[in-house]
Amino acid sequence: MTRNETEPIQDRIVLSSDLSEMSRVFPWIEALASQYEIAESLQFAINLCLEEAVSNVIRHGYANQAGRFVVVCFTVSGEGNLVFTIDDDAPPFNPLEAPALPMLDEQCETRIGGHGIRLIRGFADMLEYEPTSTGNRLHIAFSKNVSSASTK
Amino acid sequence: MGITTEELPGGITKVILEGNLDIGGAAAIDLQMNIIAGAHKAVLVDLQKISFIGSMGLRALVSPARAIKNRGGIMVLFGPNAMVEKVLRTSGIDTVIPVHHDLQAALATFQ
Repeated sequence: MTRNETEPIQDRIVLSSDLSEMSRVFPWIEALASQYEIAESLQFAINLCLEEAVSNVIRHGYANQAGRFVVVCFTVSGEGNLVFTIDDDAPPFNPLEAPALPMLDEQCETRIGGHGIRLIRGFADMLEYEPTSTGNRLHIAFSKNVSSASTK
Repeated sequence: MGITTEELPGGITKVILEGNLDIGGAAAIDLQMNIIAGAHKAVLVDLQKISFIGSMGLRALVSPARAIKNRGGIMVLFGPNAMVEKVLRTSGIDTVIPVHHDLQAALATFQ
């Protein structure tokens, strides 16, 4: 009997607002990758976008406040795209409208942080934001048939 | 996440990283990278065994690179795989920290 017959992979994961929770995301993606035959490069892109998006919610949206939650849901669209929906109840923030920070900071030194949004835009195939009655919802989609490493 | 160092001829310190430079991996090497940055001026960071890097991983590289540069030295990245290199290029880090795939070319950067 295979693992899938006994233990179906959950299509959603609920993370509490602690960065240590990020360690649960990669194994979840790995299980999905195995079930949906997701290529290694695409799995990398998914891991990257989820790490950036969820950690942004925890660090900035929730300001590292404990006792909050981030919910990530996985679906396959009618076109066969892999769609991850991230829900939070943080103050409204549309990452698609946030400017990508320049590489050099005000002192003309290499900027140490602030690369997350640029990475999400560079590795996801589609991004969509909608405010909800309690917070934010971000859809991050990946085309399963396109190698993220070779097309961008 | 693993980090080891090796002294090369010419006063070059090779830092070999292994594992995932995700949030946890970045936290694991942060202190040691900053100690290395405070003690060495020519640092070659071997990324051949890094299978993932995110923005916190980038931070763990950029911060020591900046410290080394401010002390008149240089940090060079060597051997990233295709996806790790794509992160370096997408973020623009490759425009401020040299990235090489050829070891001799990487070592030549220090001369």
